[in-house]
Amino acid sequence: MNRSSRSCPGPQATVFTGRRAFMKFGLAGAGLTLPGLLRLRAAASETEVGQSVPSRSGKAVILVWQPGGCSHIDTYDPKPLASSEYRGPFAQIATKIPGYSFTELIPRQAAIADKMVVLRSMYQLAPGHPAGTMQLLSGDPDTRDKPAPKYPDWMSIAHYLLSQRAAGVPRTLPGYIGINPPTEYNGPAYLGDAYSPFSISGDPSDPNFVVPNIGLTDVGEIGRIQRKVQLRERLDTMDRAFDSANELGALDQFESQALALLTDPSTKRAFDLSLEDNATRDRYGRNSWGQQLLMARRLAEAGVDIITTSLNGKLCGRVRNWDDHAVNHNVFEALRFRAAAYDQAVTALIEDIYQRGLDERILVCVTGEFGRTPKISYQPSTGAGDGSAPAGTKQPGRDHWVRGFSNIWSGGGIRVGQVVGATDKLGEDAVERRCGPGDFLATIYHHLGIDSSNVFIEDLSGRPTPIVDHGKPIPELI
Amino acid sequence: MPDPEGCDSEDGVDEPAVHVHWEGRIVWAYCLGIGMMIHGHRTGSTGQPEACVPRFIVALRRPIAYHLGSPSATDSPAGFVFMLLHSPARSLVFRRWTASCRPRIAKSRLFFPPVAVATWCFSFVVAGDLTNSVAPPWYAAIEDTGVIDFTNDVIPILTKAGCNAGACHAKAGGGQNGFELSLLGFEPDLDFDRIVSQARGRRIFPAAPEESLLLRKATGGVPHTGGVRIGVGSPEYQLLAEWIRGGALPRVGLRSGQSDEPSTISSELVDVLVQPELQRMQPGQSQQLTVIAIYSDGGTRDVTALALYESNNPAIATVSDTGVVTAAEMPGSAAIMVRYQGRIPVFRPSVPLGPELTNLVPGENVVDQHVFANLARLGIPPSVRCDDATFLRRATIDMVGRLPTETERQRYWAAPDQQRRIMLVDALLLDPDYAEYFANKWTGLLKNRRDNSNDLAANFAFHAWVRDHLQAGTGYDQIVKQLLAATGTVRSNPPVAWYKRVTDPKQQIEDLSQLFLGVRLQCAQCHHHPFERWSQDDYYALVACFSQVGRKPTGVRNEDMIFHQRGVAEATNVRSGQTLRPRALGTGLGEIDPSEDPRLRLADWMRTPDNPYFAPALVNRYWKHFFHVGLIEPEDDIRDTNPPSNPELLQALASQFIASGFDLRGLVRTLVLSDAYQLSSEPNSHNRVDTQNFSRFYPRRLTAEVLLDAIDQLLVTQTSFSNLPVGTRAISLPDNSYNRSVAFLKVFGRPDNSSVCECERVQTGNLAQSLHLLNAADLKTKLAARGGLAEQLANAQESLADRIERIYETAFCRSVQSEERDAAEAFMTQPTATKTDFEDLLWAIINTKEFLFNH
Repeated sequence: MNRSSRSCPGPQATVFTGRRAFMKFGLAGAGLTLPGLLRLRAAASETEVGQSVPSRSGKAVILVWQPGGCSHIDTYDPKPLASSEYRGPFAQIATKIPGYSFTELIPRQAAIADKMVVLRSMYQLAPGHPAGTMQLLSGDPDTRDKPAPKYPDWMSIAHYLLSQRAAGVPRTLPGYIGINPPTEYNGPAYLGDAYSPFSISGDPSDPNFVVPNIGLTDVGEIGRIQRKVQLRERLDTMDRAFDSANELGALDQFESQALALLTDPSTKRAFDLSLEDNATRDRYGRNSWGQQLLMARRLAEAGVDIITTSLNGKLCGRVRNWDDHAVNHNVFEALRFRAAAYDQAVTALIEDIYQRGLDERILVCVTGEFGRTPKISYQPSTGAGDGSAPAGTKQPGRDHWVRGFSNIWSGGGIRVGQVVGATDKLGEDAVERRCGPGDFLATIYHHLGIDSSNVFIEDLSGRPTPIVDHGKPIPELI
Repeated sequence: MPDPEGCDSEDGVDEPAVHVHWEGRIVWAYCLGIGMMIHGHRTGSTGQPEACVPRFIVALRRPIAYHLGSPSATDSPAGFVFMLLHSPARSLVFRRWTASCRPRIAKSRLFFPPVAVATWCFSFVVAGDLTNSVAPPWYAAIEDTGVIDFTNDVIPILTKAGCNAGACHAKAGGGQNGFELSLLGFEPDLDFDRIVSQARGRRIFPAAPEESLLLRKATGGVPHTGGVRIGVGSPEYQLLAEWIRGGALPRVGLRSGQSDEPSTISSELVDVLVQPELQRMQPGQSQQLTVIAIYSDGGTRDVTALALYESNNPAIATVSDTGVVTAAEMPGSAAIMVRYQGRIPVFRPSVPLGPELTNLVPGENVVDQHVFANLARLGIPPSVRCDDATFLRRATIDMVGRLPTETERQRYWAAPDQQRRIMLVDALLLDPDYAEYFANKWTGLLKNRRDNSNDLAANFAFHAWVRDHLQAGTGYDQIVKQLLAATGTVRSNPPVAWYKRVTDPKQQIEDLSQLFLGVRLQCAQCHHHPFERWSQDDYYALVACFSQVGRKPTGVRNEDMIFHQRGVAEATNVRSGQTLRPRALGTGLGEIDPSEDPRLRLADWMRTPDNPYFAPALVNRYWKHFFHVGLIEPEDDIRDTNPPSNPELLQALASQFIASGFDLRGLVRTLVLSDAYQLSSEPNSHNRVDTQNFSRFYPRRLTAEVLLDAIDQLLVTQTSFSNLPVGTRAISLPDNSYNRSVAFLKVFGRPDNSSVCECERVQTGNLAQSLHLLNAADLKTKLAARGGLAEQLANAQESLADRIERIYETAFCRSVQSEERDAAEAFMTQPTATKTDFEDLLWAIINTKEFLFNH
């Protein structure tokens, strides 16, 4: 009953009933007791899962999120010939991709540009942060802002589909982890909170940083938990036979997984940055962003499928994000302020996955919900701080810009060392090889082995909703 | 396929043969010949030949699936008679008699190759146990007018091949790779234009039909993302090729210029029948369906090969592409949806577990009459009656959303054995927590959301309004009417708050129809509903009922005064552009004066006794609340194609509910005091596999609110909710805003009140829940709370055994068993149990399935 083909009897279409599909799909894999494992396998073998989802690909995606949107014209898509109303103060520098330049803000990335693809022709249609984020991450065509997303983001969907694909495969680590993840305008929507990320917040470069619910260190506490779980098993005498839906079995799986996360030293190791050598930690930068990206790589290496991390906080400047309106920041000062840590961390991540031979398996995507207006606007600052002059000082800023912006891609077995697409001479409109949110999403799904053209998930009203409505994997990125 | 009837019919078509016979009582002939007319004799119970009935069955000039019939020994006599005449000059004359009986279809199918137009072939089969029938059954009525009709012939092939599926060329906004078709062929005119005219006509090529892009793509002759959909030379291929060769006209003679009829005449599909409609099937048994299309000109056609099939419950019965239904191992009833050209007849197989039970004595209760009749029919022996302790906990949780209090337990055990369950139920019905608990359910579904602090007053007022009406016992129809037709301000009339949150008339009708009628209309906003009768006209006519809802701002932001705006209510169908007046679902509302609020008409229609949705939807929703599995699943998806597992029960409950004046308490009482509700959740050796016939009680995890309250109740602790008095329980929360401040509620799936679907509430487990139970600070704090149960127990003077007994009484309403006591005692520090010991014991108790579930 779990796979619904009630709708859309199309050729290869696979329709998932979303949350009404029971437990078997809810399992994000688990560290199992033997009886639990057997129960689960029995359940999985009865279920026809994921016809168009091939077997677990072992791929991973790291989404590095620039909340608020990065000014493309000041970084990856410089327009030195544009007038001073547009071009900004930064010089352009050559990159490892012959004939293409970045600005001087990101010299390290320029030097490894042969290990990335710069997509300069991304566009979408929703100019607000909420709607823009929803368009890019969940493909919602609505251009108006709304308080909560209507559609699940690609991370939750992929987590859901991969969990389903891997039902019965014992594992300890969650499939989807967010390290200070973007959550404000995106989420699992009708898939339900079971498909939210396992979320870690805080600054991993802080010596006191701990990941909650992972690898308890207090031996006494571990012993206590294990003892009370044993007691519970002895007292849990109810006849399991009523459990035809295998609900209890699934609860056992989750408990086992939770127990493993709490008490198994190997799970703690996946998160433990102190096990990285100092040179590596230094290379990413001894700051929040650097260590977030290092943790992302570590988790991907340990088998986590989907990792998101948001480059926010005080490294961004006064308003703690990339929303460089003149009232918030002097866009140029703010970019200068955050460039070093940003450039270092992203460069280290990309180099690291290539050096470790993870570049086939892990796809890295760095993007924000949109770019910033190529034309500079001048407004009085609303407050002093990093990247912003004292209140009342007129300063340059850039506003939301959806018609053309850049994002970067690396790893994932793609042919790197290319610039794809272009904006016009002012950096305003994507004019060559235009790529919309559907293309963006289809590209990511493709890497995870999900054929987005034929997968539907039922929303709460039972309507089979395509995971990508319009869009195809970007050929240069697959 | 097995052929128990011994009906061998794989012979060639040109060989007259006599095939079908049955138990020596009836012998009917199957013939194929030229211009023959055959009289059949029926043998009555006396053994004497009785009346003759002439039958004609007609010609095949194109490949068509053809079925042979045979009767069944167990079914009541078959009684379908098709009388078909055909002459070269006129097309078919057709009549049909129906008697109250059901034929069965044998498993044999023949494919007739196309034969020359000039050849008049006919064939027929009759078979059946005719003891009581007025006429013999028919089989296989086939019509052929010699004309290929785009709508009736071409579209079904495209649909069967999947071309116009939602994932393919019917994908919203442009189809696939520039070729767009309407979803499942609901718009044949558009499809005709797209196939014939668009893309500069390159999709069809009459001079060489085989070179048409349509065929080349479909057969994989040129690269096609959708793969090979139609085989070269297949009957479908030949028909498409023939159509193209004839000029790809809307209606074209099978051979150009030889059509019998002018091409302007078009016959419309008026009905599609599936045979049989009902069938009792043994596990593993197969049944070939026959699907007959009936046209406005009287013609019929066997469209078995072109129909699409889908089972609503593959665990009970599966169906193949060719319409062969196979019963699986699980007992119960399934629905096989047969889709042909927008018509959706349903075949309902039922699969018994064992032989019919004769020893079940259903009680007086309407629930029991039908539940046990169904179980007897399906041969599923019910579990035993649950014990008193189990009933106490079960009914209390389901009726008032909490564990029984100590006083309630004492009163229950003090009551006389025969009376105690009834007395408990009657007391709980009057308990204020009954209204609290159901207000919690309804306010969630009615989207009592707090998006910002402006909503606060409306949230509280609306919640109080729902609770007070439930407490007062207001009829359900009146509650719905007051809500649906609310006018005024939130302050003066709280149900107006619903119009604050649901502002778009489209959203309003979608919500109301899903919530109160169990009809999901969302699909019909943009296209004809794929599994339902609802068209865009139905959708927008309902929208018209809400077109005159006037709004005037009040002092509170986003909080309008609602009033009826004088004027003619109407709405526009976005596709046809046609203006529509208000209608209810499936029926008109009459002329509505501009001064009259059409919403009142709609509300009055809702409560009319012959409304097929309103009462069943509510009864089914409440049924699911108590029995944990709906008679229709999901509970708010009532359609012909999703029939109830026990239709008689649903109908009887609905009638009783209407007759009671829509009395919710009376309904609850009927459900809870039924023997069916009082069955044990423990399966016996036979009914383990049953998941839809209520042969035992199906346990369900406590909802987030109930679980949190139960933990607090057990541990003698409280959860604090911002700005609400200490001691407020989770089931009394007015809106969703507390999900943010109290992580427990969100983690355990309390809905955010953003959908009218109960499915927004997630009852399934996940990793976060397990982590929460194992390690979250809030539970740890409660376990260790000062003055909490662990501390009380650690300081108590009673024996350890008595203290353990106390825990079991509170948590499970039962005594501790000796093994449990031994395990608990062995766990304790010797000689004196510490507070920590009790914390861990209580943790273990909370985490048992017996605590987490209502069983």
